[in-house]
Amino acid sequence: MTATITDKKVLMKGNYAIANAAVLAGCQCYFGYPITPQSEIGEFMSGKMQELGRAYVSAESELAAINMTIGACSTGVKAMTSSSSCAVALMQEGLSYAASDQLPVVLISVMRGGPGLGNIYPSQGDYFQATRGGGNGDYKLIVLAPSTVQECADLTYKAFYLAQKYRNPTVLLADGLLGQMMEPVQFKEYPYPEIDNSDWKLTGAKGRDARIIRSYAPLADNQCVYLEKLFAKYKQIEENETEWEEIGTEDADIVLVSFGSTARNAKTAAKICRQRGLKVGILRPITLFPFPTKRLQELSAKVKMIISVEVNMGQMIQDVKLAVNGKVPVRLIKKPVGAPPSPEEIVSQIEELI
Amino acid sequence: MEKDFIIAGFGGQGVLLAGEVLANGFMIDDKNVTWYPSYGAEMRGGTVNCTVVMSEEEVGAVQKTSADFIIVLNQASFDKYVSWVKKGGSIIVNSSLAVIKKTREDINYIFVPITKLAQDKLGNIKMSNILALGALSKVSKLISLETLEKALHNVIPARRANLIPKNIEALKLGYEYDLLKV
Amino acid sequence: MATQVFKIPESFRKDAKYTFCPGCDHGVAIRLVAECLEELGLTEKAIAACSIGCSVTIYDFLNVDSLEAPHGRALAEATGIKRACPDKFVFTYQGDGDFASIGLAESMHAALRGENLSAICINNTTYGMTGGQLGPTTILGQVTTTSPTGRNLEYYGYPIKIAEHIALCDGTAFSARVSLDTVPNIRKAKEAIKKAFEVQIKGLGFGFVEILSTCPTNWKMTPQKAHERVKNEMMPVFKPGIYKDITAEK
Repeated sequence: MTATITDKKVLMKGNYAIANAAVLAGCQCYFGYPITPQSEIGEFMSGKMQELGRAYVSAESELAAINMTIGACSTGVKAMTSSSSCAVALMQEGLSYAASDQLPVVLISVMRGGPGLGNIYPSQGDYFQATRGGGNGDYKLIVLAPSTVQECADLTYKAFYLAQKYRNPTVLLADGLLGQMMEPVQFKEYPYPEIDNSDWKLTGAKGRDARIIRSYAPLADNQCVYLEKLFAKYKQIEENETEWEEIGTEDADIVLVSFGSTARNAKTAAKICRQRGLKVGILRPITLFPFPTKRLQELSAKVKMIISVEVNMGQMIQDVKLAVNGKVPVRLIKKPVGAPPSPEEIVSQIEELI
Repeated sequence: MEKDFIIAGFGGQGVLLAGEVLANGFMIDDKNVTWYPSYGAEMRGGTVNCTVVMSEEEVGAVQKTSADFIIVLNQASFDKYVSWVKKGGSIIVNSSLAVIKKTREDINYIFVPITKLAQDKLGNIKMSNILALGALSKVSKLISLETLEKALHNVIPARRANLIPKNIEALKLGYEYDLLKV
Repeated sequence: MATQVFKIPESFRKDAKYTFCPGCDHGVAIRLVAECLEELGLTEKAIAACSIGCSVTIYDFLNVDSLEAPHGRALAEATGIKRACPDKFVFTYQGDGDFASIGLAESMHAALRGENLSAICINNTTYGMTGGQLGPTTILGQVTTTSPTGRNLEYYGYPIKIAEHIALCDGTAFSARVSLDTVPNIRKAKEAIKKAFEVQIKGLGFGFVEILSTCPTNWKMTPQKAHERVKNEMMPVFKPGIYKDITAEK
């Protein structure tokens, strides 16, 4: 199902919305290996990229897919790969290299159950995988978490933009629910400026010195300087790009923190709480790195409790606790894997916690 | 106001497609809407269902354990989902493939011999899913036949456009089920 | 009038410092690559995907845009580069461990897809940079730091004959094994590298050269003895030759 830039809404699965948006964002190369629940992305790309004369490779593994993406990105074109959980695990080496090489790799990570093979149901069990990374060394990935199919499209645009702007691998962290659900979506024109990359991309050393994109740093002192520079960039990303949505927090006693598909249910839960006279608000991080730490710090000075609502055993809650720093109690409402806890379940757990 | 719909049946009965047409219809009517399938290691002949949520406001949860309107196209789905119908809600039952039996007083049962109608009147049991939507239009009063017709154009790809007239017939047949002596 | 018989290729970095061990064949192999790049006019349009191991330092020698790939992934990254920029000349320079052990899947699939890439693989029967451990090409009986009594079948199985395997891939246009133990063999090696480059330029598919090379340090041999070993121990197992050349006249 293809969509063009149009005023009309189309009903589309999250996976297709992501793939469509990637094409409209100017993604020139797609490399991937199938895995449920994101296979629609590769299926769509296989047809569309060939139709447009762009690059598509059915990679032999996720190891190959991420490294093909790195290769393409090193030439300055927009390129992406997509995968899920246990297969994103295979990409961690590449992501560490891409972070060190400062290459604008875009990875669509559609989470499923884990650990190990787990299952194909929705999950948020890869919050750590995305924000902490499984690759070696000190690095950060920019992580965007859509909550609707419209955001699947809009944040795919943004993922390409931020990846280019900061020369940093960027993850769109969706989940099986968002990937498989349909919702009306509208494709606007790619709203971001194109970033000039003429000073670093590999094009062949014509009329200039050869460029080397590498992470090998044989001298420890150089590596110290390099890492400080890298982290200065991350600081800049934190200052400029932290994004979140906030509803009903002005007078809230309790703030729910929830991202992605789970935030949909948490929002409804907050609404039900209000109807029952409980002053509950919600903060939905849209960027997981950078995390809205500052805003949570501010909120923790005036609320009575903060509750992290997640579909995992409690991962984002660590970032929430770091932000709140003991000022108010931080609690967890969770479901280990599968569809998010229903709004009613969330409400009853809130009532138990207070 | 939020209304929840579940459509369930055998894999191959067009359950997911019917949901997609319904969700497209609500989109055409400018409602907020979500469609969510049962997904997993599905196989042809296994059971399958999808949930459509329509609302004037932003849709929260997309997966439900109860619904205002449920369409069941086979016995197994009838058995499973009858308890999911909200009080005062309706269940549309394909009586060609499920035994007519009422176990609840607080919901409306609409028995329609969907498969038989599709076979006898349209000569194609594959029209069952769309026929069921016609019945839903009548029962729910939440979506018009005209809108569903437009939705069919959204869902059926251009290269299969020849199937649209027959599907429109199916919609009408489902809508008029109660006028037919079957 | 004097005739110039040797010059440093333009594609060689002026500031390059020789960093390989005495008697190591990497130096010769890289020079051959540089000469072929220059003679085919490729230096300014070339992009190298470098590997992990001693071979990675090729980017310190060549005036060529380079991307350093993780261990074994050079041909995946090269695939990405080439697919993104089909008009560039893209090649890898890898060791046998990189190409045929950790990266065997990436290498073989690049060949199977018939990627228009050229790959040079240095086979020195050991992991050089990490200190001489057993690798995929370590020959039977060879003592390494991880085969202290020599490679035996019971514990280690057989070494891989890379050029033969790559020749079996339908997408391969050229596959050869060469050695650098004598001047005539060095000349043949250069011809093979050139051929592997030319098939890419012509868009014929995957071009591959396996180069039998020395590792005097880890073999614990003098440079001269090391080259004798290439001839006496390696060449009987890894027979030099052209294993596939779709451009050859039948």
